[in-house]
Amino acid sequence: MTESTTAKPWEPKILAFLCNWCSYAGADLAGTSRIQYPPNVRVIRVPCSGRVNPIFIVEALRQGADGVLVSGCHPGDCHYLAGNYYARRRFALLQRYLEYLGIEKGRVQFSWVSASEGARFAEVVTRVTEDVKKLGPARHLNIRIAAINESEPEAR
Amino acid sequence: MNALPQTIRETIARWLSAGEIELFIGWEAGTIPLRATPAFIRKAEEVERLIWDATCENNLVNFLPKYKGKKVGLMVKGCDARAVVGLLQEGQMIRENLRIVGVSCPGVVDPRKVARRLGIPVEDLDEAQAEGDEVVANGQRFLLAEVIYDVCADCRQHNPNIYDVAMGEEVADPAGDPFAHVRAMEALSAEERWARFAGELQRCNLCYACRNACPLCYCNVCFADRTMPRWVYQSDRPEDVQFYQIMRTFHLAGRCVGCGACTRACPQGINLRLFLDKLRLDVQELYGYVAGTDPNAKPPLTTYREKEDYNDFVL
Repeated sequence: MTESTTAKPWEPKILAFLCNWCSYAGADLAGTSRIQYPPNVRVIRVPCSGRVNPIFIVEALRQGADGVLVSGCHPGDCHYLAGNYYARRRFALLQRYLEYLGIEKGRVQFSWVSASEGARFAEVVTRVTEDVKKLGPARHLNIRIAAINESEPEAR
Repeated sequence: MNALPQTIRETIARWLSAGEIELFIGWEAGTIPLRATPAFIRKAEEVERLIWDATCENNLVNFLPKYKGKKVGLMVKGCDARAVVGLLQEGQMIRENLRIVGVSCPGVVDPRKVARRLGIPVEDLDEAQAEGDEVVANGQRFLLAEVIYDVCADCRQHNPNIYDVAMGEEVADPAGDPFAHVRAMEALSAEERWARFAGELQRCNLCYACRNACPLCYCNVCFADRTMPRWVYQSDRPEDVQFYQIMRTFHLAGRCVGCGACTRACPQGINLRLFLDKLRLDVQELYGYVAGTDPNAKPPLTTYREKEDYNDFVL
């Protein structure tokens, strides 16, 4: 994606991993219900929040995402019975770990959104977008920013 | 350096000649000062080569997955023993196939610390050896306790928790917080923490010594070596190095036993345990789990509790 260099206000890019059975359907419901939410999310549909490998999240940050959201079914509602429970254990650790290493709190977030919660999906996206906007563009791990800095230091 | 006690040598020789094991892994004198080298003993008469002293730093459990299904004996220190438990938990080894000599270990010597005391680069060490609770290097004597690795100074399990034969006098485990370095890092601001992380990794050149020394890093194809998809590039971009280290350390979440083999193996002296210990601390706090203690326990990321699990971080 190329971006013009005219003075457009910066908008964060947020990558959202949504589980097929709940959160993706919730996003769909938000759409069909014409609920407005920030257009900053790019959605990747995954079978289950348990399918999301932590490497996807760190890779997203490396590839230039300013924020990452992982959303799955509420505890007890997993289509595969327990995928979100495993995901929860994994991501509780990952979120704390990334924060410990100095990735700002709020860049990587997790939520439970069911298929009937279109309004809630919009709320979650709004909140994550606002959080990431406050943090500004991702500075760590981002190879795109690093490449810009190397080639033309004054371009930033 | 010290040859093993007579009884231990006889036991190992008996294991080998009776066919209880086909290979015994221990340490023997190496060519680098203050570093013993792993010894692979297949014949009973070769047990004379084996030694034990404060230069025996290698975690020999690292070799075990390569002999999966074989009958193998080995020597373990307190920290190494936890790695054996980890492998048993993950189904990589069968206890019946192992013969373990457990050594009570007061800590192993850090050649860099000795060199620093002498004011010379570590490569200039010569004529150095461990003698009981002292280390002699370039004509000077040091107390062993003052030149052991940081991971050994923070060790709370000097005596192995799994063994067939115990060796050496039991060493008392000190009190105190083994995670003080993690809490010090936690107290910093996000910017400072990143500076610490990125600063340490500035020296990393992706040699993968940490992965190769780790007893729990036994994946047949490591994500770093995968070509489809290619996650890690052999580049000098800091982002790629950081990516590799984040993912390797996180792959050890709930599995790292804190033996410090990665940190000791790093040729650049990167303090990897500063990052891995955060994962160990969090696993302990969130899931009440300490890796390498119970061979029958389920690793924390392969199980869950519906109600009790930490959920506050979810929106």
